[in-house]
Amino acid sequence: MVRTEQEERKELEGAVWAALEGVHDPEIPAVRIVDLGLVERVAVSSEAVEVDLLPTFLGCPALDVIRAEAEAAVRAVAGDREVRVRFVHAPPWTSDRITERGKEAMRSYGLAPPEGPGRAFVPLAALGRGTPPAACPFCGSRDTVLESAFGPTLCRSVHFCRACRNPFEAFRPKPAA
Amino acid sequence: MADPDARLTLLLSLADDELVIGHRHSQWTGWAPYLEEDLAFSSIAQDELAHARLLYRLAREAGLTDRDEDALALGREPHEYRNAVLCERPNGDWGYTIARQYLYDTADALRLQALSSSSWRELAEAARLMLLEERYHVDHARAWFDRLANGPSLTARGRLAQGLSAAVGDALGLFEPLPGEEELVAQGVLPRPNEDLLAQWLEELGRTLEAASLDYVLERHAEAGEMVPTGSGEIPEAGEALSPPGVVYRDGRWVHEGGFTGPGGRRGRHSEEFVALWEEMTGLYRAHPGARW
Repeated sequence: MVRTEQEERKELEGAVWAALEGVHDPEIPAVRIVDLGLVERVAVSSEAVEVDLLPTFLGCPALDVIRAEAEAAVRAVAGDREVRVRFVHAPPWTSDRITERGKEAMRSYGLAPPEGPGRAFVPLAALGRGTPPAACPFCGSRDTVLESAFGPTLCRSVHFCRACRNPFEAFRPKPAA
Repeated sequence: MADPDARLTLLLSLADDELVIGHRHSQWTGWAPYLEEDLAFSSIAQDELAHARLLYRLAREAGLTDRDEDALALGREPHEYRNAVLCERPNGDWGYTIARQYLYDTADALRLQALSSSSWRELAEAARLMLLEERYHVDHARAWFDRLANGPSLTARGRLAQGLSAAVGDALGLFEPLPGEEELVAQGVLPRPNEDLLAQWLEELGRTLEAASLDYVLERHAEAGEMVPTGSGEIPEAGEALSPPGVVYRDGRWVHEGGFTGPGGRRGRHSEEFVALWEEMTGLYRAHPGARW
């Protein structure tokens, strides 16, 4: 049976998404970039495969690594087609794009995921006043305090759980404006 | 010195502000009062440098310059930088650092809000991206402003007030009209003129300072402002350094009076302090032209 070109493209598009499933965030290796909501678009034409990614934080040094790894993964399934992977600036990435599977992976990694979607920006540094405390990824308690709104990477803040006495990190929320 | 396209002037003034204040912030790394603030200022610096990079790239992609982001950030002569003088001042003490960060980031948020409705789509998109990250900077500045102004230490409050007094005149310079600004406003590239942004910023700043009983720092600036001529409406290309408008309290709010005279950072006029910063910031690039890392 001969496949139509349309069927072949559809199949390749599925293979590209499957290949992207294998790309993880180098700063949070437990989490796949597809679960972070980084992949905005996959387009397959007769000559090329194009992938548009969204930057989480503009100053994230892992972006170049992510782009290179995504490109290598796509190239492995793209055959003779040219592979173009690039970062685009619209729509803005927000932490509402993180999937449930991504949040679960963060928790298992010891990182409190951002809450939402649809949650408004909560000032982290405002002395803890009125700030709903992050849930501890180890014991689930909300009896936690913010220790530092800025952490080891641009996407993490530092907290302490009073219930289980563990320090932990949270993925910094970046809700829509 | 005029750029061939006013859009380049706009991008460079935004990007150079971010690059230069980001460089100053990075100088706190390892020296801040405690670890969390080392992280905070290092992270804010990292954001600001990334924002500068985004804007330099946009200049290249829009065909406004043939210089790449490294050549724009590090390969220009000091008089080619268009950052406001506020951004290049040395960090001073913690009071000045917080005062400057507060004044800068509240002004930056306001202009980015305006630019997010720019008729230039790529710039509007960039402004929206940056705004989402700048919220954390404003948040940091507000929290510290509150700690120093309303905390238990009179010394801290006094240092903040001194810092605000020292920085507020320079901060007005963030709103120095750009060469070619009328054209940018007419095209909708810059949706609101700088003077309009200055009026809103000053009114909001005045209210915050009043609430903290610190508005006397504006009075001090107003007194200093009376000693220099303002309001001529003419901006000479050469001559004395920038003199910002005066600031007065009228009808229940703080407003500016008169205009800018003399060339400031937006026209490439910088303080002596900038030369030392420039030498440090660009040293590696100048020693190894075209180096990549």
